[in-house]
Amino acid sequence: MATILETAAAVGCFNTLLAAVDAAGLRGALEGPGPFTVLAPVDEAFAALPPGTLQTLVDNPPQLARILKYHVIAGAHSRAALCAQPEWPSLEGAPIPIRSTDPFEVKNATVVTADVACDNGVVHVINRVILPG
Amino acid sequence: MTLLLLLLLPLVAGLVLPLLPQSRPLLVRGVAAATALTQLVVGLVAWRQPPADLSLTWLPRLGLSLDLGLDGLSLPMVLLAGLITAMAVLASPADQSRPRLYFALMLATNLGVVGAFLARNALLFVLAFELVLIPTTLLVAIWGGERRAGAAVRFLLFGAVSGLSLLGGVLAFGWFGQGASGADSAVSFSFEALAATPLPPSAQMLVLGLLLLGFGIKLPIVPVHGWQPISYAEAPAPVVMLLGGVVSKLGAYGLLRFGVGLLPDAWSAFSPWIAAAGAVSAVYGALNAVVATDIRRLMAYSSLGHMGLLVLALAAATPMSLQGAVAQVLAHGLIVALLFDCVGLIQRKTGTTAIAELSGLLNPIRGLPFTMGLMLLALMAAAGIPGLAGFPAELLVFEGSWTVFPRATLICLVASGFTAVYAVRLFNRVAFGRLDNNRADWQSTRLSERLPAVVLTTLVVLAGIWPVGLTAWSEASTAAIALRHSDPVVHHLALAPTSPSLSLPA
Amino acid sequence: MTTTTPPAGIRTPLIPPSTHPYAEVIHRLEAGGSMLPDTPENLQQIIGIYKAYAVPMDFYWRDLLYIAEQVFLNPLPAFKYFISQEYLDRPNSYAGDQSQLRIWRGGEKAHPELLAFMERGETRRMPKLLHHLWHDRVNMEFAEACMRAMLWHQGMGGRFNDYLESEAYRANADRAIKAYFRGNPLMLGLYALFPEMFLEQVRQLSTTANLGLFWEVMAPVFFEMSDLYDEGQLTSVPQAMDFLVNGIFAVAGRPIYHHVFIRGECFEIIPMSEGFTWLYEAALPYVEAVFYRTSPFRGTKSYNAQAGQVPADQADFHYGILYADVFPVGSAGIPPTLLMQDMLHFLPPYLQELYREHRRGEEDQLVQLGITFQRSMYNVTSAVIQALRCALLYPLDDTDPKHLLANRQFFEAQMDRFLRPEARLPDIQSQDYR
Repeated sequence: MATILETAAAVGCFNTLLAAVDAAGLRGALEGPGPFTVLAPVDEAFAALPPGTLQTLVDNPPQLARILKYHVIAGAHSRAALCAQPEWPSLEGAPIPIRSTDPFEVKNATVVTADVACDNGVVHVINRVILPG
Repeated sequence: MTLLLLLLLPLVAGLVLPLLPQSRPLLVRGVAAATALTQLVVGLVAWRQPPADLSLTWLPRLGLSLDLGLDGLSLPMVLLAGLITAMAVLASPADQSRPRLYFALMLATNLGVVGAFLARNALLFVLAFELVLIPTTLLVAIWGGERRAGAAVRFLLFGAVSGLSLLGGVLAFGWFGQGASGADSAVSFSFEALAATPLPPSAQMLVLGLLLLGFGIKLPIVPVHGWQPISYAEAPAPVVMLLGGVVSKLGAYGLLRFGVGLLPDAWSAFSPWIAAAGAVSAVYGALNAVVATDIRRLMAYSSLGHMGLLVLALAAATPMSLQGAVAQVLAHGLIVALLFDCVGLIQRKTGTTAIAELSGLLNPIRGLPFTMGLMLLALMAAAGIPGLAGFPAELLVFEGSWTVFPRATLICLVASGFTAVYAVRLFNRVAFGRLDNNRADWQSTRLSERLPAVVLTTLVVLAGIWPVGLTAWSEASTAAIALRHSDPVVHHLALAPTSPSLSLPA
Repeated sequence: MTTTTPPAGIRTPLIPPSTHPYAEVIHRLEAGGSMLPDTPENLQQIIGIYKAYAVPMDFYWRDLLYIAEQVFLNPLPAFKYFISQEYLDRPNSYAGDQSQLRIWRGGEKAHPELLAFMERGETRRMPKLLHHLWHDRVNMEFAEACMRAMLWHQGMGGRFNDYLESEAYRANADRAIKAYFRGNPLMLGLYALFPEMFLEQVRQLSTTANLGLFWEVMAPVFFEMSDLYDEGQLTSVPQAMDFLVNGIFAVAGRPIYHHVFIRGECFEIIPMSEGFTWLYEAALPYVEAVFYRTSPFRGTKSYNAQAGQVPADQADFHYGILYADVFPVGSAGIPPTLLMQDMLHFLPPYLQELYREHRRGEEDQLVQLGITFQRSMYNVTSAVIQALRCALLYPLDDTDPKHLLANRQFFEAQMDRFLRPEARLPDIQSQDYR
């Protein structure tokens, strides 16, 4: 198997996410042993953000890192495990609510593909960038 | 000639006004104001250069002659009448409906009042007194509020009773006094003649009883005050300025002139009862004002209470209390005129005088801060705050009456304290709190609207810091007719007034 | 994730109508509208007042940063409102050619109208000190009142206040305090005796920097809206709201920090690397503290806390502009009055004309513009509500009824805050409220 980032790169629809991870300087951390559960927004999700949103974040790595960390949960959790609990603490600090189990919805995003297993964790593909608050 | 001029001014102007073109209402208003102001100036000239008494035969068979004169009692009254009339005219709205009749009636009222003050003949006084009733009734009946018909009827009925009893009293005075002497010539009603023929005690009591009824209604005083609250509530504010500031003072003047001056024995005998009526009025007026729900009614009852103080001072009839009475007449005249001027402005702008519907009027931008500021000052003056006109007047009343009627004075003191209660209550409700956005859609008061209030306020403040302006006019005259002396020192002063005074006609 | 798309065409509603007392407003919000009805006059009023607000705001943010970064702990800050030329010329990060994200097409230095006013004031050209003492100047007291509201209320989301209590913050502040008072044994002695007092002052200054950075964004946003309106490119209230929503997102990630410059050396009391963002640490707390809560102003009305007239819970405070009774405006020293006075100097001609035509004309402009300001802030609040809905919930044209119901519940919960009688939401629905 591959690491989370390698898996994502292979799929080809996480270009924005990977660029953001690089800009925020999180590559090193995500390549570590983990394990992590990553909620990975597809490129369309980033594109749907109002204009300028992403650019401002990319210009400010600490702030970008904070938003990205909101998409990461410590430990490897499958869909079934995530659904067992109403909310999970993100690495950012704010909780991530599980709003619906079927269809599987994390906060206001819907999980498109769940349980992509990697060396150092699990990836769930979501269709929207989630924001703390 | 000066005396005649004082009467001719309102008479001529009153007759000319209806002839002015209908298209120029402001001209009508201007002529009326100018007439009253000219009268005031003539009055001031008469003060500096006292005119000789004037006596013209008119209806000798009835004992009616045009005896006119000015003394320390009547001069301040005439000045007050001229001033308040002018202010009432200026306080009337610029777009007054039917201005020619309205202002003519105001001047007619002024004519009657000034005529009564100038009269040196009792029948002439009665004639002038009766003359006042007609225009004032019309003013209430035509320009009053929603319930003007009821108010006017009541005003007329009480006024008629007042006039009749006064006429009866004066006639009885003359007949009892001079009829007994059996002279073949007609009875003379001139003040000299009346003073020269003292009445027997029983006749004095009868006459005084009639006069008390007549003047008591005019003041008014409890229990004959039935016309006052509704008339003050329904009449247009400028008319109430005239009624409260001038017309009601006819009653005070009459009691002083006839009661204290000409019927001293009966007055002494009745005075405890009169003092009691004064105290009852003061308490009754104050308590009613405390619970009033309408600003106009509140002020009507407040006025009633202050009339009670005035009557107490007249009843005591010491030199000091009589000075207090005259001072109270002037001070109350100014204050009540100022209060009703402010109320008139409030009503004109907000469309109501119901206390429950008003609040936040002191709001600096959307309220009526100027009007409310002056109203606060007037309320403070009415409550007898030192430095304003009410204080010296009430102080003189209380000090002068204390030695004679301590209990009544005490009651009046307490009632006077209630003035502060209802003043604070009124101001707190109406001036403070939140201004209603939906109601607060009015323009601020214009300079011309503020003018009368400014003039009256200036005088109220002046009289407060220079109280001699209230008392000096009449020091000699009131001392001369005082029935009692409160203490030896005052007695000596009363016999030989030496205190500084304005130069007044003898 | 678009914010602007109104429901396309006529379609059967997926969820039943709201039964909330403000159902009409909620339906408008669900259709992509604002709490403020979409009328040409409302649009004119709010844009005009944004312009009049932006000019003094251009001074507020510069001076706030000047106070936080330069004046710092000056024990006698008599001249803290005498902003230095450096800060007047400080380039706005969102205007001018140098800006990475250019919101306003205008220049990056202080607005020309502001400079003209600082020169002449209402009165005439005279030394700065006399303008200051005569109070013929921009009322920074208002800006500081807003700052204190943010500091005092706290706990309104974001991690800013937690950080103010952290050990890292204490250490940073300690270094700055000691550096600032170096060679001043009196103040250092006082600091040794009362460390918390100094720390609290630094916290206040950090909040000052926070507000300054917040307003640095808002001024160019409002200027640009005014320019767009003048060109005829903003034609409806929802458009104005959407511009704000997009602006909120565009700068959401802007860092919030507090740097202090002592003898030329920069001390990072709150470093940018803490990851504090404009949206979470500045904008949302600002809206909560200033628009909703603030505190009862002295001089407008007497409150009896013992009689329960002031809520025991700070979260229930409701003295902000959305609840304000604008009528007492004009009484001296009340923060909103100071703001009205500031805006009065920069009203665009069309608003002056509008005010002349209504109520007492020029006499009560302060009240009229206060109510206009209230309208405009209801629009800003609408933008914040829509932005939150956009960030945390679902698009307005979502096809899942469950998602629409979640949006509905969110809107209803927001409207619940305006159920208390002081709220002016019902008033601004009518044009007669002036």
